[in-house]
This record gives sequence, structure tokens and C-alpha cells, in this order.
Amino acid sequence: MSHPAKGKSALLIKLTLWLITFTVVLPFLWLLKASVMDFANSQAGVLAWVRDSVVFTLAALIFSVLSSITAGFVMAILYIPFRKTMIVLTLITMLIPATAMAMPLYVLVDHIHLNDTILGLVIASSYYPFGAFLSYLYFSSAMPGDLVGMGRIDGLGDWGLFYHLGIPLSKSLWSIVTFFSFINLWNSYQLPKVLLNAPEHSTLPMGLELLYGRGTATVGILMLIPAVLLYLLSQRSIERGIFSGAVTG
Amino acid sequence: MRRVRKARAGALFMFAPYFAAMLFCGLIPLVVAIREVANPSWINMKGSYTTIYRILGDFRVIPALAHAAFLLAIFVPAMIVVVLAISLLLDATPVRGNTLMRLVLLLPGIVSGGVATLIWTSLLGPNIQWNGSNIRWLIGGIAFTSGVGSWIVIQYGSLRSISHEVLEAALVDGCNRFQLAIRIKLPMISRYIGYMTILLVAGAIQIYSEPTLLMSTGLTTDWSLSQVAYSYAFRTGDFAGGTALSLDMLIPNIVLGIVFVMNTDFLKRGERH
Repeated sequence: MSHPAKGKSALLIKLTLWLITFTVVLPFLWLLKASVMDFANSQAGVLAWVRDSVVFTLAALIFSVLSSITAGFVMAILYIPFRKTMIVLTLITMLIPATAMAMPLYVLVDHIHLNDTILGLVIASSYYPFGAFLSYLYFSSAMPGDLVGMGRIDGLGDWGLFYHLGIPLSKSLWSIVTFFSFINLWNSYQLPKVLLNAPEHSTLPMGLELLYGRGTATVGILMLIPAVLLYLLSQRSIERGIFSGAVTG
Repeated sequence: MRRVRKARAGALFMFAPYFAAMLFCGLIPLVVAIREVANPSWINMKGSYTTIYRILGDFRVIPALAHAAFLLAIFVPAMIVVVLAISLLLDATPVRGNTLMRLVLLLPGIVSGGVATLIWTSLLGPNIQWNGSNIRWLIGGIAFTSGVGSWIVIQYGSLRSISHEVLEAALVDGCNRFQLAIRIKLPMISRYIGYMTILLVAGAIQIYSEPTLLMSTGLTTDWSLSQVAYSYAFRTGDFAGGTALSLDMLIPNIVLGIVFVMNTDFLKRGERH
């Protein structure tokens, strides 16, 4: 925020924002209250759902964040054959309905004998085109060609450009891609429902459905806590401006 | 003379993990889905690609299309307006407790569809008589609240990165705050607004979790196109019918994506390095 409004308009803006905030927070206060009352009703199985959710989310998160950000950097800055095709394919695959992909993914995962396993779910969830596209947008606008050219003159190779220029200039991008990838995986419902059929494997969103009406608020709070903590940890870098890089103010 | 560029091993190596994931989780399933459509289906026993339009004759498809059109007409424009309005307000002035405010505004966006459904149904209480008319507002409301927060983070972030010099020049030229927002800030983040629009449209057409979790009301079975496709594929075992309908859902998104790419400078980025 660079040129703050002053006087009456600033007061009006503040009041509007506080009113919206107050309206939004009310349902969550109810959820918190309900979770305390519901705690006794939640079942022992919840811990197993938490464990499976954590393992699945962390494994898929690491791969999806690393692969999508490096891919965004390559598509924006470096040269690869069929670069434009890759960008368009990224956009198209991002828009494919999950239902269309669920059945073929089920067949593929079954083909490599990983059906009903967390590893199969991790592999099927490791593609994150949203992150790659966001990274492509970021590096396209935040890294000027001159800077990259100077890096080349200084003898940097592709990895060197990414390590010495790309990573230092994209801390907020890493935060935001990690945050959204986490939310996407942690709340994932449709794919786990198709790929995990064994009763011993369930993620929290699937458990929420199983527990509906009996301790659901506790599961709801359990699902909310890690996302809030991750946001608080990465908030400063997210708010620095996700698209601010080497040239913007 | 046209220079011939040669890809370096480093770039290819860096791109390889993403490309592998794209192949396994995106392109191969898409090819499998397209091939699957030609197999015999309940609505096309002989099996051919005509299933893609024959599936539209299913009695559940027209109501599901009407529901998608309702979301597209009411909630997608509302989400775009609200996201941009709140992002511009947050960017316009410092507010005490700004950090807490942004976290609270984001909260609905970080809960899953299941938690959002639980909150809404519990808040509205057991006395509401759900019917085909009011339940679509509930589904739209859940999708709205869970979609707005995360886009505020992205659009607020993009507003924060607009160059100070540009804004200062506009103020010197006599722009007031409203003009600054409408004529300077919004055009400068138009690519990200277009990107958001495409994903919101796709989300509205493909909505699945919210109506599925509301099925206990008995009103939202096969409410959305994704549910009808899911029903074909996983309840009746008709994968050809399910994937045909899913591919139908993909068509408007691809058209929108192409319009978006053709009308922006998305694919242009000067010289490769």
C-alpha cells in the first residue's frame, strides 16, 4: 500500500473492512465452540486420519512445490523445446474436471500396483499446474531480461541462474505456492475418495464425511489449525507482494 | 537471420520432474479419458465418440446445466467484484489490525468444502425447509465464501507489487482514489484478474464437493455436472458416459482459456536466455 487514503474516506474504508471481518469471523467462533462440545464424541480413528493426511500432504507438497516453481522458472526464463505448448498444456490440464481425471488416474495407479496406498495418492496428486502457472507469471514479470543477461555474462548456467537469481528474488512466491499447494492437498476430497478404498486409509476430509454429525466440529478445527499456522508463518513474505521482484517498487 | 536456439541440459533437467508429473497425472489420463469415450456406454451401446453429445440428452444434464448457469450468473461475478473490492480497500489505507483482518478474511478460503458445509448447515439451523430453489443459494454461498479469501491474498499481493512511481505519476496527474483504483491499479493487474476469472468459471462448472456433502438433504444428488459424471463412472460403472460428460465440461473452459491467451501477452516474454 503506497499512497494511503486519508480523512473521511480512510475512516469509511476502515469501518467497511472491520464490518466484513466481523461478519466473516462469527461462523468460526461457532465452530470453535462446537468443537469443544464435540470433542468427547470424536473417535479414536481421528488420529489415524491425521497421520495419513500429514504423510500424504507433506510428501506431495514437497514434490509439487519444487517441481512447479522450477518449471515456472524454466518456462519464463530459459529455453526448452515446445515452451509455448508446455504453457498452454499447463493451462489446459489445470482446467480439466477432476471427475475426468479420477477414473484414468485410478486405472494408472492400479496399473503400478499402488491402489489403496498413500504412495499412490501422493503420486497422483503431485502435479500442481496452478503453482507452475503462478510461477511462470511471477518470473515473467519480476525478472528483467537484462538481469538474466548479466547473470549469463557472469558465467551462470541454468542452475546458477535459478539458484543465485531465481530463488533470492522469489521468496514470497515460494511462500504462496507452498501455502496454496498445502491447502489444495490438505483439503483434497475427490481424489482420495476414489483412490483410497481400504478402511485403514482415510484422510481427514474423508473422515469428516464418515463422522458427519458426530464430532465433525473437532475434525473441522483439526483441519483448520495447520492451515492457519502455515499462513501465519508465511504471511510476511506473502504480503511483501507476490509479484514484486527485481524491478517493481 | 533467424537464430537457432538450443536447449541446455540444465533447463531440460529442471523441467523434467514437472513434465513427468504432467504426463502421469495430466496428459496420459486425458488421452485415456478421450479413448475411453469411444467404448460402449449405457446411452450408446455401440460405442463411438457420438457419446460426447448423446450424453447431453440425459434427463439430469439440463437441470445440472441450469445450476451451473445460476452459479455463473450470480456467484462468479459476485466473487470477482468482492475479491477486487476488498483487495483494493486493503491496499488503499493502513488499518489497525490489518494482519488479523487479512487472516480472518482468508479463513473461509482455507477450510475444506466439508467444514464449510458443516458450518453453514449448522448456522442456518434445522428449521429451514430446503427445496430446489433455496439450496442452490446455499451451495453458491458455500462456494463463494470458500473461494473469496484465497483470491484476495493473490490479488492483494499483485496490487502491492505495482510500482510506486506509476501511482505517484497518476496522483500528480490529478487522479482521485477511485480513479486510481479503476484506471490504474485494475488494468495493471488485468492478467491476474483474467486468470482468476478462468479458474472461477471452471470451478462453477465443475463444482462437486459442496452438493455431494449436502446430499443428506436429499436434494443434491446429481445436482452438478460433476456429480452426474461421477454417478456414471463410479455408480453404474459407465466410464465412457462419465468421461464424455467430463470432456463436455472441459470445452467451455478451453474456449475461455484460448480467448484469454489470445487476448493477453501471456506467451510473450522477449528473448529466451
